[in-house]
Amino acid sequence: MKKIHIIGIVVIAVSIGAIMASLASSSTYAAFSEAAASPSSEFHVVGTLDKNKDRIYDPKTNPNLFTFFMVDSAGIEKKVILHKAEPPDFERSEKLVIIGKCKGEVFEARDILMKCPSKYNDGKPVESGQQSETKQQ
Amino acid sequence: MEINYLGEQLIPGHLGNGFVILAFTAALLSAVSFLFAEIRSSKLPIESAGWKKIGRLAFRVHSLAVLGIVATLFYMLYFHLFEYEYVWHHSNKSMRTRYILSCFWEGQEGSFLLWTFWHVVIGNTLMRTAKTWESAVMTVVSSVQIFLTSMMLGIFLFEYKIGSNPFTILLRQHPDFSGIPLFQNPNYLSKLDGRGLNPLLQNYWMTIHPPTLFLGFALTLVPFAYAIAGLWKKELNGWQRPALPWAFTGVAILGTGILMGGAWAYEALSFGGFWAWDPVENSSLVPWLTLVGSAHVMLIHKNKGQSLFTALFLSLLSFILVLYSTFLTRSGILGDSSVHAFTDLGMSGQLLIYLFFYILLSVLLMSVNYKQFFSGSEEESLWSREFWFFIGSLILLISSFHVLFNTSMPVWNKLFHKKFAAPDIAFYNAWQLPLATMLAVLIAMGQYLKYRNTEIKEVLKKLMLPFALACLSTLLIALLMKINTVFFVALLGASLFCIFANFNYWLVILKGQLKNAGASVAHMGFGLILLGVLLSTSKKEFISHSNADKDLSSFKLSNGQNNVLLQRKDTVQMGDYYVTYTGKSKSGNNVYFNVDYFSKQPGGKLNYAFSLKPLVQINAQMGNVAEPDTRHFFNKDIYTHVTYADYSIQDEKNKNAAENENSQNFSFSPGDTVASSNSLIILVGLNSRVDKKKYGLPDSAIAVGAEFKILDVNKKVHMSYPVFAIERNQIVPLPTEIPELGMKLNFWKVDPEAGKITVAVTVNAADKPDYIVMEAIVFPWINILWTGCIVMVIGTAMALVHRIRKY
Repeated sequence: MKKIHIIGIVVIAVSIGAIMASLASSSTYAAFSEAAASPSSEFHVVGTLDKNKDRIYDPKTNPNLFTFFMVDSAGIEKKVILHKAEPPDFERSEKLVIIGKCKGEVFEARDILMKCPSKYNDGKPVESGQQSETKQQ
Repeated sequence: MEINYLGEQLIPGHLGNGFVILAFTAALLSAVSFLFAEIRSSKLPIESAGWKKIGRLAFRVHSLAVLGIVATLFYMLYFHLFEYEYVWHHSNKSMRTRYILSCFWEGQEGSFLLWTFWHVVIGNTLMRTAKTWESAVMTVVSSVQIFLTSMMLGIFLFEYKIGSNPFTILLRQHPDFSGIPLFQNPNYLSKLDGRGLNPLLQNYWMTIHPPTLFLGFALTLVPFAYAIAGLWKKELNGWQRPALPWAFTGVAILGTGILMGGAWAYEALSFGGFWAWDPVENSSLVPWLTLVGSAHVMLIHKNKGQSLFTALFLSLLSFILVLYSTFLTRSGILGDSSVHAFTDLGMSGQLLIYLFFYILLSVLLMSVNYKQFFSGSEEESLWSREFWFFIGSLILLISSFHVLFNTSMPVWNKLFHKKFAAPDIAFYNAWQLPLATMLAVLIAMGQYLKYRNTEIKEVLKKLMLPFALACLSTLLIALLMKINTVFFVALLGASLFCIFANFNYWLVILKGQLKNAGASVAHMGFGLILLGVLLSTSKKEFISHSNADKDLSSFKLSNGQNNVLLQRKDTVQMGDYYVTYTGKSKSGNNVYFNVDYFSKQPGGKLNYAFSLKPLVQINAQMGNVAEPDTRHFFNKDIYTHVTYADYSIQDEKNKNAAENENSQNFSFSPGDTVASSNSLIILVGLNSRVDKKKYGLPDSAIAVGAEFKILDVNKKVHMSYPVFAIERNQIVPLPTEIPELGMKLNFWKVDPEAGKITVAVTVNAADKPDYIVMEAIVFPWINILWTGCIVMVIGTAMALVHRIRKY
């Protein structure tokens, strides 16, 4: 057997290893129900913010605690705890992806991704002057 | 009813559209002509020369047309012609002029234009330099231009839309905006402002990062075109030589472009780092990795005639991966997994055709020449340069394969109906770290090995000194910086070995001369990059710690405690520093938060060290964007990012005006309760025994104290003791404040007959306590990373100059 064959085998073995490891360790997109079924593994849950319920961020008590309610794609709502500051423009988000584990009635998120459509594809032509008034804190 | 719109400039649109059609047609003609020129070259040299002339002319016309497109689009952006959807979508009047170029790459059409532009530059250079390869290479280049310009055509063919044309889509005709009342007004343009540029792109890195990156992408076309030409002409051993300088230029420029993106992320984005294995970052890294492999294997082939298959494979692959990454980032398939993927313009079908065309072409030409690859190749000896270069490219291939496989998760999900999420940063790091370690060791030894065969004992003897130095410094650094993970120590050792060995090679073997030093310098730069990445990432430390939430035992979080609340004028210890938030100010659209850092002297005295001004760009249209601020030291960076704050600012003048407006007089008898805007105020009682010294009043003054109980909305009780004082018939103003409520009480009148007092109550939002929530991170030795980048680019440039001179 030539060296080239041995190397070939090693490369293939490492590549298969890479694929297996990726698939084994990677978390999956899921709904709240699936996440609740296996509380020890991490999931990505896609959903939308429930704007009718309270979002609580009180930095004076704890600057690393933000809670809100999210409705997943199956329509199930859960309270989400994020151990970070409230992300900027949170209320404008159209879609959320939370990454974390389900702990009983709440979902403990390690991280969050927000899709704000406004950054890329939102807004309609309006008379100038109106635009700047849409949001002034 | 037809409306006659006022002030619309429709000529630039027609002009631009004309240029697009011209560019497309000329590319088509150029490709066909060069194709015939190549096919006829052996049998009918005269006819071939004629075709070549037409091809060249057509490509020049194409080049001028592309320049025309660029100029027209620039004109439209510069003069704010919002009647065009592209201009309205990507710019506005308040944007600074220097960001106009950024509008080119915010939109897809503009990015394709930038890419096309670089191909034009490259194509014109190739027509001068490619000599006998010209016709074949230019056929490939022109064919790519056909595809790229077709992305801008914006025409319908059998109800399928081809391309998206920035010149033909008028805002008022855009399907999304039909029926908007504004367009009933013939003079709508005078009232219109653009949507504006994404605030993230309004950063100086964003004016140079995309053009550099796209030039890098464009440069992968040249090795690809030469490889195709080599297979086509069946000159499998000739194409590497002219392609080699291009490949190394691509390595340097694409590498610089990627790192500029990292620098932008580090300075302008708030994730706290320069690399996050984001799909968009990954899809530019993967072609770079294969291009590095291809360039090195081409070097082997040029010198020793081996690794032909690998050289072809990697050269073809690099360009195909650029196309694939374009597909990933432009088709919208990344969806949830990337924060900054682009939206879908409905061109993914077109992109796929483009991708599969070049994959098929490559596979076809490779299989036709299949027999050439493996015939009679003798086996390389174990201690030869070619063997270890080959191993090195395999490692690069595995590394790129791993990144590519994981970045493509959304594609696999779509194909196989799975729901895998993209892995996190730690997973990428865990796999890439050992590969980088192996690569660093190979780079350390590479140049010491000779072609064919090397006396390994000689090599080891020469490597003794750098190896010893590397071991010693690894031990020292690991102990000093407390690096105790095996893999980290291994990478530390490997990168130091790589630096020392290449320095040694230049100093001892090349005797310090600069002519041949390019490779050594570039590899030293690569070693420095690895070292900088390792130190700054593995020893990155949050110095902001909150102790508000003590119970985290249930859920161990990697960065769950890093946000700290800073009240204005509070001082909080962070690492070796004491940090104070002193207030905010506004300039243009930016709100700056001033954060002072103090260091503690031995005596316990605080000494002012520096100030940072992290900012928030206020953008009502697209959302506010926070930008961190970083203080650079030679051995570390201190990064400060405001994660949460109140962005509203009232200047002093407004504040006083507001105060007067909000001030309200209330009369009280003891026991009375009145309601202010945010609380209930109860006068408990009055007393005349006021400690005058406390208020700085002389004994002669007459003073009355009042005791107020104030209940806020949360039923919390606040006590306040305002004082009324008269000295020499003058009322002395002695207002008292209740900061928690933003309330000021001014006790200014006593009416002894009615038994009443009058108090002016001011409730002012501006006096509310001002605070920020911030994070502070120390990145140690990150400057080694940036130094490494510069050294690598210098080294590559040196090698190129040397190579081109020889060529």
